Amino acid sequence: MGHCIHTTGLNYFFSKKEQVLHDIHLHVPEGSIYGFLGPNGAGKTTTLRLLLGLLRQQSGDIHIFGQPFEPNRQSILGRIGSLIESPSLYSHLTARENLMIWQKVYQCPKNRIEAVLRLTGIADTGEKKTGQFSLGMKQRLGIAVALLHAPRLLILDEPTNGLDPGGIVEMRELLRQINQESGITIVISSHLLSEIEKLVTDVGIIHRGKMQFEGPLDELMRVRRSHSSLVIETGAPDKALALAQQTCGEARLINGKINLPHQDKTTIAALNHQFVMADIPVYQITGKEDDLESIFMQMTATTPTQNPLL
Amino acid sequence: MIHSIQSEWLKTRRSLASWLVVIGGLFIPLIFLYDRLRHFSTMAENNAKPGIWTYYFKQCWQYMSILLLPLGIILTVSLITQIEYRNNTWKQVHTTPQRLSTIFLAKLVVILTMLLQFFLIFNGGIWLIVALPSVFGTVDYPSAPIPLDTFGEFNHRFLVGSLPIVGLQYLLSLHFRNFMVPLGVGLAIFVATIIGLNWEYGYLIPYSYLSYFFMNNTQHLLDQGINIYYCALGYFAVFTGLAWLSYRYQRSKN
Repeated sequence: MGHCIHTTGLNYFFSKKEQVLHDIHLHVPEGSIYGFLGPNGAGKTTTLRLLLGLLRQQSGDIHIFGQPFEPNRQSILGRIGSLIESPSLYSHLTARENLMIWQKVYQCPKNRIEAVLRLTGIADTGEKKTGQFSLGMKQRLGIAVALLHAPRLLILDEPTNGLDPGGIVEMRELLRQINQESGITIVISSHLLSEIEKLVTDVGIIHRGKMQFEGPLDELMRVRRSHSSLVIETGAPDKALALAQQTCGEARLINGKINLPHQDKTTIAALNHQFVMADIPVYQITGKEDDLESIFMQMTATTPTQNPLL
Repeated sequence: MIHSIQSEWLKTRRSLASWLVVIGGLFIPLIFLYDRLRHFSTMAENNAKPGIWTYYFKQCWQYMSILLLPLGIILTVSLITQIEYRNNTWKQVHTTPQRLSTIFLAKLVVILTMLLQFFLIFNGGIWLIVALPSVFGTVDYPSAPIPLDTFGEFNHRFLVGSLPIVGLQYLLSLHFRNFMVPLGVGLAIFVATIIGLNWEYGYLIPYSYLSYFFMNNTQHLLDQGINIYYCALGYFAVFTGLAWLSYRYQRSKN
Protein backbone atom coordinates (compact mmCIF):
# COMPACT_ATOMS: atom_id res chain seq x y z
CA MET A 1 0.00 0.00 0.00
CA GLY A 2 1.38 3.43 -0.97
CA HIS A 3 1.63 6.36 1.37
CA CYS A 4 -0.72 9.27 0.99
CA ILE A 5 1.51 11.38 3.24
CA HIS A 6 5.19 10.76 3.72
CA THR A 7 7.41 13.13 5.67
CA THR A 8 11.07 12.81 6.55
CA GLY A 9 13.09 14.75 9.07
CA LEU A 10 10.61 17.50 9.76
CA ASN A 11 11.92 19.99 12.28
CA TYR A 12 10.30 23.22 13.30
CA PHE A 13 11.54 26.05 15.48
CA PHE A 14 9.32 28.83 16.80
CA SER A 15 12.50 30.59 17.88
CA LYS A 16 16.18 29.66 18.06
CA LYS A 17 15.66 28.24 21.52
CA GLU A 18 12.24 26.74 21.03
CA GLN A 19 12.19 23.65 18.84
CA VAL A 20 8.66 22.28 18.63
CA LEU A 21 9.18 19.42 16.17
CA HIS A 22 12.12 17.02 16.17
CA ASP A 23 12.81 14.85 13.15
CA ILE A 24 9.22 13.89 12.40
CA HIS A 25 8.77 10.93 10.05
CA LEU A 26 5.15 10.30 9.14
CA HIS A 27 3.82 7.53 6.93
CA VAL A 28 0.09 7.74 6.35
CA PRO A 29 -1.13 4.77 4.26
CA GLU A 30 -3.45 5.47 1.33
CA GLY A 31 -7.08 4.85 2.27
CA SER A 32 -6.39 4.63 6.00
CA ILE A 33 -7.89 6.50 8.92
CA TYR A 34 -4.77 7.71 10.68
CA GLY A 35 -5.09 8.81 14.29
CA PHE A 36 -2.48 11.42 15.14
CA LEU A 37 -2.31 11.41 18.90
CA GLY A 38 -0.57 13.40 21.54
CA PRO A 39 -1.29 15.51 24.58
CA ASN A 40 -2.01 19.21 24.21
CA GLY A 41 1.09 21.05 23.07
CA ALA A 42 2.77 17.90 21.71
CA GLY A 43 3.18 19.32 18.20
CA LYS A 44 0.13 17.84 16.43
CA THR A 45 -1.26 21.10 15.12
CA THR A 46 2.19 22.37 14.11
CA THR A 47 2.75 19.17 12.10
CA LEU A 48 -0.66 19.42 10.43
CA ARG A 49 -0.09 23.11 9.66
CA LEU A 50 3.20 22.21 8.00
CA LEU A 51 1.45 19.53 5.94
CA LEU A 52 -1.05 22.12 4.72
CA GLY A 53 1.54 24.80 4.02
CA LEU A 54 0.21 27.09 6.74
CA LEU A 55 3.69 27.21 8.26
CA ARG A 56 6.83 27.72 6.26
CA GLN A 57 8.82 24.49 6.03
CA GLN A 58 12.20 24.88 7.76
CA SER A 59 13.78 21.48 7.22
CA GLY A 60 12.86 18.01 6.04
CA ASP A 61 10.62 16.83 3.21
CA ILE A 62 6.89 16.56 2.79
CA HIS A 63 5.47 14.32 0.08
CA ILE A 64 1.71 14.15 -0.40
CA PHE A 65 0.13 11.90 -3.06
CA GLY A 66 3.70 10.95 -3.95
CA GLN A 67 4.66 14.52 -4.89
CA PRO A 68 6.86 16.99 -3.01
CA PHE A 69 4.58 19.57 -1.41
CA GLU A 70 6.17 22.96 -2.14
CA PRO A 71 6.56 22.73 -5.93
CA ASN A 72 3.08 21.17 -6.24
CA ARG A 73 1.34 23.24 -3.59
CA GLN A 74 -1.77 24.21 -5.55
CA SER A 75 -2.37 20.87 -7.19
CA ILE A 76 -1.98 19.07 -3.84
CA LEU A 77 -4.15 21.50 -1.88
CA GLY A 78 -6.88 21.05 -4.49
CA ARG A 79 -7.17 17.43 -3.39
CA ILE A 80 -7.10 18.04 0.38
CA GLY A 81 -9.97 19.00 2.66
CA SER A 82 -9.06 20.34 6.07
CA LEU A 83 -10.44 21.46 9.37
CA ILE A 84 -7.73 22.95 11.56
CA GLU A 85 -8.68 23.66 15.17
CA SER A 86 -11.99 25.59 15.16
CA PRO A 87 -14.16 25.65 12.01
CA SER A 88 -13.50 28.60 9.68
CA LEU A 89 -16.90 30.14 9.04
CA TYR A 90 -18.13 33.57 8.03
CA SER A 91 -20.49 34.30 10.88
CA HIS A 92 -22.62 36.87 8.98
CA LEU A 93 -23.49 34.34 6.28
CA THR A 94 -25.69 31.24 6.17
CA ALA A 95 -24.34 27.69 5.82
CA ARG A 96 -25.14 27.65 2.08
CA GLU A 97 -23.51 31.03 1.53
CA ASN A 98 -20.41 29.84 3.35
CA LEU A 99 -20.24 26.80 1.10
CA MET A 100 -20.83 28.95 -2.01
CA ILE A 101 -17.64 30.87 -1.18
CA TRP A 102 -15.57 27.68 -1.28
CA GLN A 103 -17.53 26.27 -4.23
CA LYS A 104 -16.36 29.26 -6.27
CA VAL A 105 -12.75 28.73 -5.26
CA TYR A 106 -12.68 24.96 -5.86
CA GLN A 107 -14.87 25.22 -8.94
CA CYS A 108 -16.79 22.11 -7.95
CA PRO A 109 -20.39 21.44 -9.06
CA LYS A 110 -23.03 23.50 -7.24
CA ASN A 111 -24.99 20.39 -6.29
CA ARG A 112 -22.10 19.43 -3.98
CA ILE A 113 -23.36 22.12 -1.59
CA GLU A 114 -26.66 20.31 -0.94
CA ALA A 115 -24.87 16.95 -0.94
CA VAL A 116 -22.45 17.87 1.86
CA LEU A 117 -25.15 19.69 3.83
CA ARG A 118 -27.25 16.52 3.77
CA LEU A 119 -24.26 14.32 4.53
CA THR A 120 -23.39 16.33 7.61
CA GLY A 121 -27.02 16.66 8.71
CA ILE A 122 -27.34 20.44 8.54
CA ALA A 123 -29.44 20.78 5.38
CA ASP A 124 -32.34 22.38 7.25
CA THR A 125 -30.52 25.40 8.71
CA GLY A 126 -32.14 27.70 6.13
CA GLU A 127 -31.46 31.41 6.58
CA LYS A 128 -29.86 31.04 10.00
CA LYS A 129 -26.50 32.80 10.16
CA THR A 130 -23.61 30.57 11.17
CA GLY A 131 -22.82 32.99 14.00
CA GLN A 132 -25.99 31.66 15.66
CA PHE A 133 -25.03 28.00 15.19
CA SER A 134 -24.26 25.74 18.14
CA LEU A 135 -20.67 24.47 18.40
CA GLY A 136 -21.77 21.07 17.12
CA MET A 137 -23.43 22.59 14.04
CA LYS A 138 -20.33 24.68 13.38
CA GLN A 139 -18.16 21.54 13.52
CA ARG A 140 -20.50 19.82 11.06
CA LEU A 141 -20.35 22.76 8.69
CA GLY A 142 -16.56 22.78 9.05
CA ILE A 143 -16.56 19.13 7.94
CA ALA A 144 -18.96 20.01 5.10
CA VAL A 145 -16.53 22.70 3.90
CA ALA A 146 -13.68 20.19 4.04
CA LEU A 147 -15.69 17.63 2.02
CA LEU A 148 -17.18 20.05 -0.51
CA HIS A 149 -14.71 19.42 -3.34
CA ALA A 150 -14.64 15.63 -2.80
CA PRO A 151 -11.01 15.57 -1.62
CA ARG A 152 -8.78 12.49 -1.64
CA LEU A 153 -7.32 13.39 1.75
CA LEU A 154 -9.06 14.83 4.77
CA ILE A 155 -6.98 16.45 7.53
CA LEU A 156 -8.96 17.08 10.69
CA ASP A 157 -7.41 18.65 13.76
CA GLU A 158 -9.36 17.74 16.88
CA PRO A 159 -12.72 17.73 15.05
CA THR A 160 -14.62 16.49 18.09
CA ASN A 161 -13.61 19.44 20.26
CA GLY A 162 -16.68 20.80 22.01
CA LEU A 163 -18.98 18.03 20.84
CA ASP A 164 -21.21 16.18 23.29
CA PRO A 165 -20.86 12.36 23.51
CA GLY A 166 -23.70 11.86 21.02
CA GLY A 167 -22.05 14.27 18.61
CA ILE A 168 -18.73 12.45 18.94
CA VAL A 169 -20.37 9.12 18.05
CA GLU A 170 -22.15 10.71 15.06
CA MET A 171 -18.91 12.33 13.87
CA ARG A 172 -17.15 8.98 14.15
CA GLU A 173 -19.85 7.26 12.10
CA LEU A 174 -19.74 10.00 9.49
CA LEU A 175 -15.97 9.73 9.08
CA ARG A 176 -16.10 5.95 8.88
CA GLN A 177 -18.83 6.18 6.25
CA ILE A 178 -16.82 8.70 4.18
CA ASN A 179 -13.70 6.54 4.40
CA GLN A 180 -15.49 3.34 3.44
CA GLU A 181 -17.71 4.74 0.70
CA SER A 182 -15.28 7.13 -0.96
CA GLY A 183 -11.94 5.64 0.04
CA ILE A 184 -10.77 9.02 1.34
CA THR A 185 -7.67 8.93 3.49
CA ILE A 186 -8.39 10.64 6.80
CA VAL A 187 -5.85 12.07 9.22
CA ILE A 188 -7.51 12.90 12.49
CA SER A 189 -5.69 14.37 15.46
CA SER A 190 -6.81 14.03 19.02
CA HIS A 191 -5.44 14.18 22.52
CA LEU A 192 -7.74 11.35 23.60
CA LEU A 193 -6.95 7.88 22.31
CA SER A 194 -10.21 6.50 23.70
CA GLU A 195 -12.09 8.94 21.48
CA ILE A 196 -10.71 7.64 18.21
CA GLU A 197 -9.47 4.11 18.94
CA LYS A 198 -12.77 2.73 17.58
CA LEU A 199 -12.29 4.63 14.33
CA VAL A 200 -8.66 4.57 13.26
CA THR A 201 -6.76 1.93 11.33
CA ASP A 202 -3.31 3.42 11.92
CA VAL A 203 -1.83 5.44 14.72
CA GLY A 204 0.96 7.96 15.19
CA ILE A 205 1.79 9.13 18.69
CA ILE A 206 3.70 12.35 19.21
CA HIS A 207 4.97 13.83 22.44
CA ARG A 208 7.07 16.93 23.01
CA GLY A 209 7.58 17.20 19.27
CA LYS A 210 8.94 13.67 18.86
CA MET A 211 7.25 10.64 17.36
CA GLN A 212 6.83 7.95 20.01
CA PHE A 213 5.04 5.35 17.95
CA GLU A 214 3.77 4.87 14.44
CA GLY A 215 2.08 1.85 12.96
CA PRO A 216 -1.19 0.01 12.43
CA LEU A 217 -3.62 -0.04 15.32
CA ASP A 218 -3.12 -3.83 15.50
CA GLU A 219 0.53 -3.26 16.35
CA LEU A 220 -0.48 -0.97 19.17
CA MET A 221 -2.87 -3.68 20.33
CA ARG A 222 0.02 -6.15 20.35
CA VAL A 223 1.94 -3.73 22.52
CA ARG A 224 -1.07 -3.66 24.79
CA ARG A 225 -1.20 -7.44 24.98
CA SER A 226 2.49 -7.64 25.71
CA HIS A 227 1.89 -5.32 28.62
CA SER A 228 -0.98 -7.30 30.07
CA SER A 229 -0.34 -9.31 33.21
CA LEU A 230 -1.71 -12.29 35.07
CA VAL A 231 -2.81 -12.07 38.71
CA ILE A 232 -3.22 -15.22 40.77
CA GLU A 233 -4.71 -15.35 44.28
CA THR A 234 -3.83 -18.45 46.26
CA GLY A 235 -4.02 -19.78 49.83
CA ALA A 236 -0.19 -20.08 50.09
CA PRO A 237 1.35 -17.12 48.33
CA ASP A 238 5.02 -17.76 49.16
CA LYS A 239 4.93 -21.38 48.08
CA ALA A 240 2.97 -20.45 44.96
CA LEU A 241 5.45 -17.67 44.12
CA ALA A 242 8.37 -20.12 44.17
CA LEU A 243 6.50 -22.46 41.85
CA ALA A 244 5.51 -19.63 39.53
CA GLN A 245 9.10 -18.37 39.35
CA GLN A 246 10.25 -21.88 38.48
CA THR A 247 7.69 -22.15 35.67
CA CYS A 248 7.55 -18.64 34.25
CA GLY A 249 10.73 -16.98 35.46
CA GLU A 250 9.53 -13.51 36.25
CA ALA A 251 6.94 -13.40 39.04
CA ARG A 252 6.32 -11.00 41.90
CA LEU A 253 4.18 -10.90 45.00
CA ILE A 254 2.06 -7.76 45.20
CA ASN A 255 -0.52 -7.36 47.98
CA GLY A 256 -0.44 -11.09 48.64
CA LYS A 257 -1.19 -11.92 44.99
CA ILE A 258 1.18 -13.33 42.41
CA ASN A 259 1.75 -11.03 39.41
CA LEU A 260 3.11 -12.51 36.20
CA PRO A 261 3.72 -11.07 32.77
CA HIS A 262 1.40 -12.04 29.89
CA GLN A 263 1.24 -15.86 29.50
CA ASP A 264 -0.36 -18.04 26.89
CA LYS A 265 -3.30 -20.29 27.80
CA THR A 266 -1.21 -23.52 27.94
CA THR A 267 1.20 -22.03 30.46
CA ILE A 268 -1.66 -20.74 32.61
CA ALA A 269 -3.27 -24.23 32.62
CA ALA A 270 0.05 -25.89 33.44
CA LEU A 271 0.71 -23.47 36.30
CA ASN A 272 -2.74 -24.06 37.73
CA HIS A 273 -2.17 -27.80 37.51
CA GLN A 274 1.11 -27.44 39.44
CA PHE A 275 -0.58 -25.42 42.18
CA VAL A 276 -3.29 -28.08 42.56
CA MET A 277 -0.72 -30.87 42.61
CA ALA A 278 1.19 -29.01 45.34
CA ASP A 279 -1.97 -28.67 47.44
CA ILE A 280 -2.04 -24.87 46.99
CA PRO A 281 -5.64 -23.61 46.98
CA VAL A 282 -6.25 -21.38 43.93
CA TYR A 283 -8.98 -18.76 44.56
CA GLN A 284 -8.75 -16.66 41.45
CA ILE A 285 -6.79 -16.31 38.17
CA THR A 286 -7.39 -13.04 36.32
CA GLY A 287 -5.84 -11.38 33.30
CA LYS A 288 -5.10 -7.68 33.67
CA GLU A 289 -4.73 -5.72 30.43
CA ASP A 290 -3.60 -2.14 30.23
CA ASP A 291 -6.10 -0.24 28.16
CA LEU A 292 -4.83 1.78 25.21
CA GLU A 293 -5.22 4.96 27.18
CA SER A 294 -2.73 3.70 29.80
CA ILE A 295 -0.26 2.76 27.09
CA PHE A 296 -0.71 6.17 25.52
CA MET A 297 -0.12 7.74 28.92
CA GLN A 298 3.01 5.67 29.41
CA MET A 299 4.32 6.62 25.99
CA THR A 300 3.71 10.29 26.52
CA ALA A 301 5.00 10.31 30.08
CA THR A 302 8.59 9.40 29.25
CA THR A 303 11.26 10.31 26.76
CA PRO A 304 11.86 7.83 23.91
CA THR A 305 15.06 6.50 25.41
CA GLN A 306 13.36 5.79 28.70
CA ASN A 307 10.22 4.49 27.09
CA PRO A 308 9.83 0.81 27.88
CA LEU A 309 7.41 0.35 25.02
CA LEU A 310 9.85 1.22 22.28
CA MET B 1 -8.71 34.88 -10.74
CA ILE B 2 -12.32 35.67 -11.58
CA HIS B 3 -13.54 32.85 -9.30
CA SER B 4 -11.39 34.15 -6.47
CA ILE B 5 -12.88 37.62 -6.92
CA GLN B 6 -16.40 36.14 -6.94
CA SER B 7 -15.57 34.26 -3.77
CA GLU B 8 -14.21 37.40 -2.09
CA TRP B 9 -17.25 39.39 -3.22
CA LEU B 10 -19.59 36.82 -1.63
CA LYS B 11 -17.88 37.42 1.71
CA THR B 12 -18.96 41.06 1.68
CA ARG B 13 -22.64 40.12 1.43
CA ARG B 14 -24.55 41.62 4.38
CA SER B 15 -21.24 42.64 5.93
CA LEU B 16 -20.86 45.85 7.91
CA ALA B 17 -18.55 47.20 5.19
CA SER B 18 -21.16 46.74 2.44
CA TRP B 19 -23.74 48.60 4.53
CA LEU B 20 -21.21 51.32 5.22
CA VAL B 21 -20.73 51.87 1.47
CA VAL B 22 -24.47 52.32 0.89
CA ILE B 23 -25.20 54.39 4.00
CA GLY B 24 -22.00 56.45 3.63
CA GLY B 25 -22.77 57.14 -0.03
CA LEU B 26 -26.29 58.35 0.66
CA PHE B 27 -25.74 60.08 4.00
CA ILE B 28 -24.74 63.56 2.81
CA PRO B 29 -27.07 63.65 -0.24
CA LEU B 30 -30.02 62.74 2.02
CA ILE B 31 -29.18 65.58 4.40
CA PHE B 32 -29.11 68.03 1.50
CA LEU B 33 -32.32 66.57 0.10
CA TYR B 34 -33.99 67.03 3.47
CA ASP B 35 -32.69 70.61 3.56
CA ARG B 36 -34.12 71.27 0.08
CA LEU B 37 -37.49 69.87 1.04
CA ARG B 38 -37.46 72.02 4.18
CA HIS B 39 -37.08 75.12 2.00
CA PHE B 40 -39.60 73.97 -0.54
CA SER B 41 -40.65 77.47 -1.54
CA THR B 42 -37.24 78.26 -3.08
CA MET B 43 -36.86 74.95 -4.88
CA ALA B 44 -38.40 75.96 -8.23
CA GLU B 45 -36.31 79.11 -8.33
CA ASN B 46 -33.11 77.18 -7.51
CA ASN B 47 -33.84 74.50 -10.11
CA ALA B 48 -33.95 77.19 -12.76
CA LYS B 49 -30.40 78.38 -11.94
CA PRO B 50 -27.72 77.25 -14.43
CA GLY B 51 -25.27 76.25 -11.69
CA ILE B 52 -27.67 74.07 -9.69
CA TRP B 53 -25.82 70.80 -10.38
CA THR B 54 -22.36 72.18 -9.65
CA TYR B 55 -23.61 73.83 -6.48
CA TYR B 56 -24.85 70.59 -4.92
CA PHE B 57 -21.95 68.59 -6.33
CA LYS B 58 -19.43 70.88 -4.60
CA GLN B 59 -21.48 71.15 -1.44
CA CYS B 60 -21.64 67.38 -1.08
CA TRP B 61 -18.01 66.80 -1.98
CA GLN B 62 -16.88 69.46 0.49
CA TYR B 63 -17.96 67.31 3.45
CA MET B 64 -17.24 64.05 1.74
CA SER B 65 -13.70 64.65 0.49
CA ILE B 66 -12.26 66.25 3.59
CA LEU B 67 -14.06 64.36 6.33
CA LEU B 68 -16.27 61.40 5.52
CA LEU B 69 -14.50 59.73 2.61
CA PRO B 70 -11.12 59.28 4.37
CA LEU B 71 -12.88 58.00 7.49
CA GLY B 72 -15.12 55.74 5.40
CA ILE B 73 -12.13 54.25 3.54
CA ILE B 74 -10.22 53.68 6.79
CA LEU B 75 -13.20 51.82 8.23
CA THR B 76 -14.26 49.93 5.12
CA VAL B 77 -10.83 48.65 4.10
CA SER B 78 -10.14 47.55 7.67
CA LEU B 79 -13.51 45.81 7.94
CA ILE B 80 -13.18 44.00 4.61
CA THR B 81 -9.65 42.80 5.22
CA GLN B 82 -10.34 41.87 8.81
CA ILE B 83 -13.24 39.60 7.84
CA GLU B 84 -10.70 36.76 7.76
CA TYR B 85 -9.14 37.56 11.12
CA ARG B 86 -12.50 38.13 12.76
CA ASN B 87 -13.91 34.81 11.58
CA ASN B 88 -10.62 32.93 11.96
CA THR B 89 -10.81 31.95 8.30
CA TRP B 90 -7.32 32.81 7.02
CA LYS B 91 -6.22 29.22 7.60
CA GLN B 92 -9.04 27.92 5.40
CA VAL B 93 -8.31 30.50 2.68
CA HIS B 94 -4.65 29.52 2.68
CA THR B 95 -5.38 25.81 2.31
CA THR B 96 -7.30 26.37 -0.92
CA PRO B 97 -5.57 25.82 -4.27
CA GLN B 98 -5.08 29.54 -4.90
CA ARG B 99 -1.81 31.35 -5.40
CA LEU B 100 -1.03 33.85 -2.67
CA SER B 101 -0.90 36.60 -5.30
CA THR B 102 -4.42 35.67 -6.43
CA ILE B 103 -5.78 35.90 -2.89
CA PHE B 104 -4.01 39.24 -2.38
CA LEU B 105 -5.24 40.74 -5.65
CA ALA B 106 -8.79 39.39 -5.34
CA LYS B 107 -9.19 41.13 -1.99
CA LEU B 108 -7.75 44.37 -3.38
CA VAL B 109 -10.04 44.23 -6.41
CA VAL B 110 -13.06 43.80 -4.13
CA ILE B 111 -11.99 46.80 -2.05
CA LEU B 112 -11.49 48.96 -5.16
CA THR B 113 -14.83 47.78 -6.56
CA MET B 114 -16.51 48.82 -3.32
CA LEU B 115 -14.83 52.21 -3.62
CA LEU B 116 -16.24 52.58 -7.14
CA GLN B 117 -19.62 51.40 -5.86
CA PHE B 118 -19.45 54.14 -3.24
CA PHE B 119 -18.65 56.79 -5.89
CA LEU B 120 -21.61 55.63 -7.98
CA ILE B 121 -23.99 55.70 -5.02
CA PHE B 122 -22.73 59.11 -3.91
CA ASN B 123 -23.05 60.63 -7.38
CA GLY B 124 -26.47 59.03 -7.71
CA GLY B 125 -27.37 60.62 -4.39
CA ILE B 126 -26.29 64.04 -5.66
CA TRP B 127 -28.50 63.56 -8.71
CA LEU B 128 -31.39 62.62 -6.40
CA ILE B 129 -31.04 65.87 -4.41
CA VAL B 130 -31.80 67.88 -7.51
CA ALA B 131 -33.96 65.47 -9.48
CA LEU B 132 -36.14 63.71 -6.90
CA PRO B 133 -38.60 66.60 -6.30
CA SER B 134 -39.06 66.79 -10.09
CA VAL B 135 -39.79 63.05 -10.31
CA PHE B 136 -42.82 63.61 -8.08
CA GLY B 137 -43.85 66.51 -10.30
CA THR B 138 -43.75 69.19 -7.64
CA VAL B 139 -41.09 71.30 -9.43
CA ASP B 140 -39.67 71.33 -12.92
CA TYR B 141 -36.59 69.25 -13.69
CA PRO B 142 -33.56 71.61 -13.94
CA SER B 143 -33.14 72.98 -17.43
CA ALA B 144 -29.32 73.18 -17.03
CA PRO B 145 -27.55 70.06 -18.28
CA ILE B 146 -25.46 67.99 -15.87
CA PRO B 147 -21.80 69.07 -16.37
CA LEU B 148 -20.60 65.53 -16.90
CA ASP B 149 -17.06 66.55 -17.89
CA THR B 150 -16.51 68.52 -14.68
CA PHE B 151 -18.11 65.81 -12.55
CA GLY B 152 -16.04 63.14 -14.29
CA GLU B 153 -12.83 65.11 -13.76
CA PHE B 154 -13.52 65.66 -10.05
CA ASN B 155 -14.57 62.06 -9.50
CA HIS B 156 -11.43 60.89 -11.22
CA ARG B 157 -9.23 63.07 -9.00
CA PHE B 158 -11.04 62.05 -5.82
CA LEU B 159 -10.68 58.42 -6.79
CA VAL B 160 -6.93 58.84 -7.26
CA GLY B 161 -6.74 60.84 -4.00
CA SER B 162 -8.38 57.91 -2.19
CA LEU B 163 -5.86 55.34 -3.38
CA PRO B 164 -3.03 56.06 -0.89
CA ILE B 165 -5.53 55.62 1.97
CA VAL B 166 -6.68 52.31 0.45
CA GLY B 167 -3.06 51.16 0.04
CA LEU B 168 -1.89 51.93 3.56
CA GLN B 169 -5.06 50.66 5.25
CA TYR B 170 -4.79 47.44 3.23
CA LEU B 171 -1.19 47.00 4.32
CA LEU B 172 -2.03 47.59 8.00
CA SER B 173 -5.18 45.47 7.98
CA LEU B 174 -3.42 42.53 6.36
CA HIS B 175 -0.48 42.71 8.68
CA PHE B 176 -2.10 43.24 12.06
CA ARG B 177 -4.60 40.82 13.53
CA ASN B 178 -5.89 43.45 15.96
CA PHE B 179 -8.55 45.60 14.29
CA MET B 180 -7.61 48.57 16.48
CA VAL B 181 -4.15 48.92 14.88
CA PRO B 182 -5.22 49.81 11.31
CA LEU B 183 -8.10 51.86 12.69
CA GLY B 184 -5.92 53.72 15.21
CA VAL B 185 -3.08 54.39 12.77
CA GLY B 186 -5.57 55.46 10.09
CA LEU B 187 -7.30 57.89 12.41
CA ALA B 188 -3.97 59.27 13.65
CA ILE B 189 -2.82 59.99 10.08
CA PHE B 190 -6.23 61.49 9.31
CA VAL B 191 -5.92 63.92 12.24
CA ALA B 192 -2.32 64.68 11.23
CA THR B 193 -3.59 65.44 7.72
CA ILE B 194 -6.13 67.99 8.96
CA ILE B 195 -3.48 69.67 11.11
CA GLY B 196 -0.81 69.47 8.41
CA LEU B 197 -2.79 70.85 5.48
CA ASN B 198 -1.35 74.33 5.99
CA TRP B 199 2.16 73.01 6.42
CA GLU B 200 4.42 73.66 3.43
CA TYR B 201 5.21 69.96 3.20
CA GLY B 202 1.62 68.90 3.85
CA TYR B 203 1.55 67.20 0.43
CA LEU B 204 3.87 64.55 1.86
CA ILE B 205 1.07 63.23 4.07
CA PRO B 206 -0.48 60.37 2.09
CA TYR B 207 -4.02 61.05 3.29
CA SER B 208 -3.98 64.72 2.27
CA TYR B 209 -4.69 64.44 -1.46
CA LEU B 210 -8.48 64.37 -1.24
CA SER B 211 -8.35 67.74 0.52
CA TYR B 212 -5.84 69.15 -1.97
CA PHE B 213 -7.95 68.01 -4.88
CA PHE B 214 -11.10 69.48 -3.36
CA MET B 215 -9.50 72.82 -2.54
CA ASN B 216 -8.02 72.79 -6.04
CA ASN B 217 -4.96 74.64 -4.74
CA THR B 218 -2.27 72.56 -6.34
CA GLN B 219 -0.91 75.20 -8.69
CA HIS B 220 1.78 76.38 -6.25
CA LEU B 221 2.91 72.75 -5.90
CA LEU B 222 2.95 72.30 -9.67
CA ASP B 223 5.12 75.42 -9.89
CA GLN B 224 7.61 73.64 -7.61
CA GLY B 225 7.47 70.61 -9.88
CA ILE B 226 5.32 68.58 -7.47
CA ASN B 227 2.38 66.80 -9.06
CA ILE B 228 0.21 65.43 -6.28
CA TYR B 229 -1.70 63.30 -8.78
CA TYR B 230 1.45 61.26 -9.30
CA CYS B 231 2.29 61.49 -5.58
CA ALA B 232 -1.02 59.79 -4.82
CA LEU B 233 -0.42 57.08 -7.41
CA GLY B 234 3.15 56.63 -6.18
CA TYR B 235 2.07 56.23 -2.56
CA PHE B 236 -0.56 53.70 -3.63
CA ALA B 237 2.03 51.69 -5.56
CA VAL B 238 4.49 51.74 -2.64
CA PHE B 239 1.90 50.82 0.00
CA THR B 240 0.43 48.05 -2.15
CA GLY B 241 3.93 46.71 -2.84
CA LEU B 242 4.73 46.70 0.87
CA ALA B 243 1.39 45.05 1.63
CA TRP B 244 2.24 42.28 -0.84
CA LEU B 245 5.70 41.74 0.64
CA SER B 246 4.33 41.69 4.17
CA TYR B 247 1.64 39.21 3.14
CA ARG B 248 3.92 37.04 1.01
CA TYR B 249 6.60 36.66 3.66
CA GLN B 250 4.33 36.35 6.68
CA ARG B 251 5.78 33.54 8.74
CA SER B 252 2.52 31.86 9.61
CA LYS B 253 -0.49 31.80 7.34
CA ASN B 254 -2.71 31.79 10.45
